[in-house]
Amino acid sequence: MSFTQIARSCSRLAATLAPRRVASGILIQSQASRMMHRIAVPSMTSQLSQECRGRWQTQLVRRYSAKPPLSLKLINERVLLVLKLYDKIDPSKLNVESHFINDLGLDSLDHVEVIMAMEDEFGFEIPDSDAEKLLKPADIIKYVADKEDVYE
Amino acid sequence: MSQLRSKVISLYKHLQYLGREYPGLNGPQKFRKQIHDAFMNHKDEQDPKKIVALLAQGRYLAKEVEALYSLKKYRSVKQRYSYND
Repeated sequence: MSFTQIARSCSRLAATLAPRRVASGILIQSQASRMMHRIAVPSMTSQLSQECRGRWQTQLVRRYSAKPPLSLKLINERVLLVLKLYDKIDPSKLNVESHFINDLGLDSLDHVEVIMAMEDEFGFEIPDSDAEKLLKPADIIKYVADKEDVYE
Repeated sequence: MSQLRSKVISLYKHLQYLGREYPGLNGPQKFRKQIHDAFMNHKDEQDPKKIVALLAQGRYLAKEVEALYSLKKYRSVKQRYSYND
């Protein structure tokens, strides 16, 4: 993010925080005044404090440098792009369901290179026992989606 | 046998990773093709003793490539920071 975007989001955060502080102050005062007349309900008090704490915590968590959100469509596009850029694969024959060895004419070492390219693209390591089962682009897409907990 | 296959695949991955910065014109592409052809020339090997010997040779080659990188780095730094001229 650029500096202006950070400043804008910080000011937006401050603007949203200020009224809640005032509101919570008023609520605390009303609670205190109510306690002078009768005993307050503990469940309501704890629920109120939990709600306030939850809201503040969710708002104070910043997500500036997280990974971009993934979807099945995006994973599909990235996998096919990496495979198109591989020099031993014919892009015209490439399909989501085409087999690397039977349809695209790669050998086992080329398959290892393809798995290495997928590791570089998505930033995690694929063990050899799992790599042996990934023989189609559809298998790779499913594996990446399961790894990153993506379902739609 | 599966253990040896896993070792062969790991060695191939290591060599491919090392070869990404091989010096020279089209160095990475040439190195990749050489490694691929070298592994393919022995794809019908079945004797475990021979496979272990070939794995040792591959590891030796990996050490040689690392030494080449170190030597090239040393020469580059020495050339850039020479005070004699």
